[in-house]
Amino acid sequence: MTPASPATIPTLDFKAEADRLLPPGASYDACLACGLCSSGCPASGIDGMDPRRFIRMAMLGLNRELSTTPWIWSCTLCQRCSSVCPMSIDVSVLVSLARGNWPPERRPSGIVRSCQAQLRSASTSAMGVRPEEFVDIVAESAAEVRRQGPRFRRIQPPVDRQGAYFFVNQNSREPAAEPEELGPLWKILDYVGADWTYSSTGWAAENFCLFGGDDDAWRAVVEQRVAAVNALGCRVWLNTECGHSFYSMWRGIRRFGLDARFELDNLISWYARWIREGRLPVNADWNRAGLRFTVQDPCQLVRKSVGDPAADDLRFVARALVGAENFVDMQPCRGANYCCGGGGGALQAGRSGARRSYGRRKFDQIAASGADYVLTPCHNCHSQIEDIGRHYGGDYRVVHFWTLICLSLGILGEDERRYLGPELAGPGLPDRGDDGDG
Amino acid sequence: MSGEPRRHRVQLAVIGSGLAGCAAALFALERGLTTAQVGHSGALAYTSGHLDLLGVLDGRVVDDPWSALGELQRRQPGHPLARIAPETVRHAFHRFTAALSSLGIGYTTPGDRNLRAPTPAGTVKPTLSLPCTMAAGVTAARERSATLVVDFAGLEGFSARQLVANLGPRWPGLRCTRLDFPGMEDGGVLYPEAMARALEVPATRERLAGRIRAVLEGASCVGLPAILGIHRPDRVHRALQRALGATLFEVPTMPPGVAGIRLQEAFEQALPARGLTLVSRQKVTRLQLGKEEATLQLHDSYGPLEIHAGAVLLATGRFLSGGLVADRDGIREPLLDLPVQQPPGRDAWHRDDYLAPEGHPVNGAGIRCDRWLRPLNPDGRVVHPRLFAAGILLAGQDWVRQRCGAGVAIATAFAAVQAAARHLGPGDGDSTPNPG
Repeated sequence: MTPASPATIPTLDFKAEADRLLPPGASYDACLACGLCSSGCPASGIDGMDPRRFIRMAMLGLNRELSTTPWIWSCTLCQRCSSVCPMSIDVSVLVSLARGNWPPERRPSGIVRSCQAQLRSASTSAMGVRPEEFVDIVAESAAEVRRQGPRFRRIQPPVDRQGAYFFVNQNSREPAAEPEELGPLWKILDYVGADWTYSSTGWAAENFCLFGGDDDAWRAVVEQRVAAVNALGCRVWLNTECGHSFYSMWRGIRRFGLDARFELDNLISWYARWIREGRLPVNADWNRAGLRFTVQDPCQLVRKSVGDPAADDLRFVARALVGAENFVDMQPCRGANYCCGGGGGALQAGRSGARRSYGRRKFDQIAASGADYVLTPCHNCHSQIEDIGRHYGGDYRVVHFWTLICLSLGILGEDERRYLGPELAGPGLPDRGDDGDG
Repeated sequence: MSGEPRRHRVQLAVIGSGLAGCAAALFALERGLTTAQVGHSGALAYTSGHLDLLGVLDGRVVDDPWSALGELQRRQPGHPLARIAPETVRHAFHRFTAALSSLGIGYTTPGDRNLRAPTPAGTVKPTLSLPCTMAAGVTAARERSATLVVDFAGLEGFSARQLVANLGPRWPGLRCTRLDFPGMEDGGVLYPEAMARALEVPATRERLAGRIRAVLEGASCVGLPAILGIHRPDRVHRALQRALGATLFEVPTMPPGVAGIRLQEAFEQALPARGLTLVSRQKVTRLQLGKEEATLQLHDSYGPLEIHAGAVLLATGRFLSGGLVADRDGIREPLLDLPVQQPPGRDAWHRDDYLAPEGHPVNGAGIRCDRWLRPLNPDGRVVHPRLFAAGILLAGQDWVRQRCGAGVAIATAFAAVQAAARHLGPGDGDSTPNPG
């Protein structure tokens, strides 16, 4: 690395770094330059860069150009390129390295500020929600839910309950910006009688330090969360509908060798399990109009960590909820799915033109599917797919799973329907006088 | 967090995700075998989409591949296709193309003669079956129809002008033009995969049809690079053809083209739905062949996996896919260190004339098998009764020059699955007779 002033980007020797990072016997020299990576990458062409060009330039020693290209903030680290590469060349390793090589003041400020907020607070919240604020918001929102009717009188989200089975995490977006989205999750956990708790510390799901290329900060956030789960003695850290939060925790624990005395699981798999066990008796009776639904496979959950079992669960739950005949897959899908363009911190990177250009391929996929709704078990996917829909004039809506589960069970409140269209404003409203056993 | 391997138990484990591996998985499921398939992102994405049986024999272009199979038996009795009965080859081809068509990728029914299909280089190539989206190109070339070939600004590796320059002298009605692809006019590099996905959107198709109609000038046929959708291309083909009011055909592009990606994605979705345990984009790290069963060890992104199988079918391809490895002192098979039939030394791998049309001795290197597709030791004994092999990993063929890659893959996959099923038969013992 050459010496540099704080504001300039140092020059990395990418080939030397690649040789250092790759397992023995592997080499970026093995690249055949076939272009499958770029062919399947929605970021190809942005800033005149693509995965193949990145690798070729690294092998040719064009280190200054690679060290400074802003494309690294458009690559969403989704690893689709390496998954289609016959030589398993992982471009995202070099992109992460390049990100971390940018001085913090040159990195996208949205990512940097979010990461700093996470490091400052015991909540690990990127939106700066402090532990006591989280506890207050949960209590106030729960009171709102209880006011929806007597059947919700038991909704008392536990916090810091020692020995609960599930340690449930929460993306900061809900407590900070849309607390009415908390209710459906609590209703589901209450419906199945889950043994769960929030924690006042380490509860947040998101991890922007991962996206900043700052391994120490990524580790610090994961350590705080692992300590919170260990301290409560919970058996399972249950990741709610958020993709990268699962990957950052799951991968972080392995990568940094942390002592996690619990399992990691994701909420979708538990939805599937509860439906199979008859504990969530959802059906598609509410969808008599035959609204068509598709599902977004979050890269971080499906391709980068759990794999096909997560994709299977997503589809099982979706079909049960909307009716198999009303479900349509985007193409490609599952592990081969395209990133929506909102991953890797892109939504916080401030390059909205590039982000929407990336999202064009997702938009085309959705348009080709003919879906009226996109189910997104991930907050970044949700925001990005909504945004590109507005930008490109899409005629679809984007919705969380928990919304449809509660809709199907007849327990979705009026205020919990912000992502549903007018055609679903009425069906299945909870009867305020109903004291059903739920 | 636990690190215990997840375990699967199946009758047949197929290693390889190219044409042979996918065909084997398909045939095994059709036979009712519980099957697992493991393979890295294979060479399938590099295929043109043409399914060649036998296109060239001894430097001559083959018109009737079925009679050429008889000739092959006489001239190259060690060739994998020479060791399978022609009726079995025909049956396997028909089953395979019918299965593809049922997946939404229509293929022409294999006939008695090879088709002559236009290539992106402006040549015609003998092949037995091709995607229905490409079929009209064969007819247009034969009948020399008034045809407009279109390429696109920014699309590398496909030149309509090159096609016309090479085919035009024999095909006077052939013209070319270059258009901007709708929605991709920013001057960047275009990829067939992205264009194909875009054409799955009706609005993009309509815009493209409008641009082509404006330059048709009486052409009755239109040739496009292979970009007519990836999922259900026949639907895209029909819709665009209707919008154009002209007969439409695709010409394969340079790899990576969409014809191979179509096959890869279709298999990856359809076969698990038929019961396949698919571990895609991963390589087997260890294979143990035991008395009671075979054990495959591997890792996916989530952690370690073990597959226990009654039989294993190796369809790992050649050098590109890692089925064979070339070292300074020889060629080896990396998974089991199987004996590789090969020239005596590296000096003998190639002829002096690098472009020799008859190829090089190294092209025939590979795994030698008995007639039940079981790899053999140098002394002629079966390596292991649970082990079978298929595809271009096999010795004694030169699929590139003989235009027989799909033929070797499909026919040997069928025969190897048949042999494995026989092995797995009642009692799961080694019921296969020893080779004579």
